Amino acid sequence: MSSSDTTAEITELLVREGMLLDEQRWEDWLALYTDQTEYWVPSWKSEYEPTDDPHGEISLIYLTSKTRLAERIQRIRSGKSAASLVIPRTVHTISNILVEDAKDDEAIVRCSAVTHMFDPKRRQEQQSFCRYQMKLVKESGGWKIAAKKIILINDNLPTKLEFYML
Amino acid sequence: MKPSDIDALIIDDPANHVFKVHADVYRSEEIFELEMKYIFEGNWMFVGLEAQVPKPHDFITTTIGRQNVIVSRDKDGQVHGLINACRHRGALICHTSVGNAKTHVCPYHAWAYDSAGKNVGITTREQGHYTEEFDADDHGLRPIPRFESYRGFLFGSLNPDVQPLEDFLGDMKVMIDLVVDQSAEGIEMIPGTVNYTYNGNWKMQIENSADLYHFMPTHSTFVQILNNRSSNDDVTDSPYRNRAESGVTRGSMCFKNGHNLMFGGGDKVEARPLYIDRDKVESRVGETQYKWMLYTRNAMFFPNMQLLENASLQIRINRAVSANRTDITTLCIAPKGESAEAREVRIRQYEEFFNPSGLATPDDTSIFEDMQDGQRAGMIDFNHGYLRGMQDVNTEPIPEAKELGMSPDLSIVGPLGLGDETILHGPLREWRDRLMQCLAKDQDSAGGRQVAAQ
Repeated sequence: MSSSDTTAEITELLVREGMLLDEQRWEDWLALYTDQTEYWVPSWKSEYEPTDDPHGEISLIYLTSKTRLAERIQRIRSGKSAASLVIPRTVHTISNILVEDAKDDEAIVRCSAVTHMFDPKRRQEQQSFCRYQMKLVKESGGWKIAAKKIILINDNLPTKLEFYML
Repeated sequence: MKPSDIDALIIDDPANHVFKVHADVYRSEEIFELEMKYIFEGNWMFVGLEAQVPKPHDFITTTIGRQNVIVSRDKDGQVHGLINACRHRGALICHTSVGNAKTHVCPYHAWAYDSAGKNVGITTREQGHYTEEFDADDHGLRPIPRFESYRGFLFGSLNPDVQPLEDFLGDMKVMIDLVVDQSAEGIEMIPGTVNYTYNGNWKMQIENSADLYHFMPTHSTFVQILNNRSSNDDVTDSPYRNRAESGVTRGSMCFKNGHNLMFGGGDKVEARPLYIDRDKVESRVGETQYKWMLYTRNAMFFPNMQLLENASLQIRINRAVSANRTDITTLCIAPKGESAEAREVRIRQYEEFFNPSGLATPDDTSIFEDMQDGQRAGMIDFNHGYLRGMQDVNTEPIPEAKELGMSPDLSIVGPLGLGDETILHGPLREWRDRLMQCLAKDQDSAGGRQVAAQ
């Protein structure tokens, strides 16, 4: 497989992930992840340094299984969580995609992500801007997300932070 | 505003079991200005932990009311509370939330200060043709007028006449002891600070953590997620998973100076990090202290700090920005030297429960905004949410207070379903009494000045 093919496949995966989040097709979104995926949003130690050890430092989110993400989907959809009354509309914009290392069945990729959000309840807009660092693996012929580290740049969180905002 | 205007905002009649609070307490910017002057800038405020500045020249920056301050450890290990403003023209001299610096140099005219706040350089001093009067002045950073530590918990006050810290804390010292004594080596801060904000009044956050009544309705999705997890799941356990709901001691206490405590057993102790390390803890601190260390304890240090041990252990600091806006900073603290297994449990429980990106806190903060919105206009005057437990509350300390040697003004025990709200009376009475006393004092002195001028 040529490098440009791999880059095109990975680009499609990243863009598709953002689209599935925006369309609130969260089960389809979850299907992009491996069962033992590592989903990690560090907190910050200082103005310049995010935390870098999830076992000895505080993360905003650190999950090591797809089941943990599924719990969050269930929580949001239940209608019983005040944080999801109302669920904001979002648009993910994925850019600056850089495939750092690609083998036949494994790839390391970085990109930038800006999520624009609109809260219809209060007619307020909000953005989050992130750097993604991901490890992808080939499973039954398609790329899956085996690890996703999300460096959230604007970390003064207005009431909540959930996966669809990142 | 007159003292009687403040008095009218709380209908407080214990003999007739009445306690009502006017919504203006949470929404009036005029009242907020009084809170800023008389409470945040007039009383003791929690500013941080000595553990946040462990090495010489370490510093953190924070605020007391609207005043930017620095907490800095000098070369000899002494911790100083300093006003974060150059003595030359008042510019901030310290620009990051945390760091290490032997010298702080103002970027404007390069006046320099050491880590004790002493002035160590006035640029081109000799060429400035200063007067003797200037040379006689102290050009060091102004110290926070009162700055004291209780077992590594640092408090500061902009008011030089504030009561001694030990008196201000009173029985709340026991709550600090129950945390610091969890390790013979003391406590440390786990790296990583979490910051969030909500468009709501600062009192909503400190009231929410004392409010057992909200837990099941507000956090039902959190509890359901925990209970759905099977015990062979790889996930960290939680004290809130399959917890006992009957036959356990739960209660609350109100102390002098507006502090309060919600406490309880019944949450699954086996899931607590301290239980994992129980062998080295219980034998050192004894049975009663160990029991209390494993209790859920939501302790509120009026007005700006909460020390919360339920799922993990948190320090939550609130910074009131306006009547309708509050910024929160949270720290995860831990006993030094705990096992790697306990540390992992502590961190995962903290993130899952306390973080604004977790499964519980975002429901609270979202509701604070809903509360601020719901009572924005005059149709809401006196709210009805302060009366649960009113028939059973005691002015004599309950046995649970006595076993720790504490003397709360109000205390109560009851089942999970009691959801006591008398725990809110202490802070609100302190709030009212302090504003009234300060207003009366200022009006007296203003009256005195008018008489003198005539």
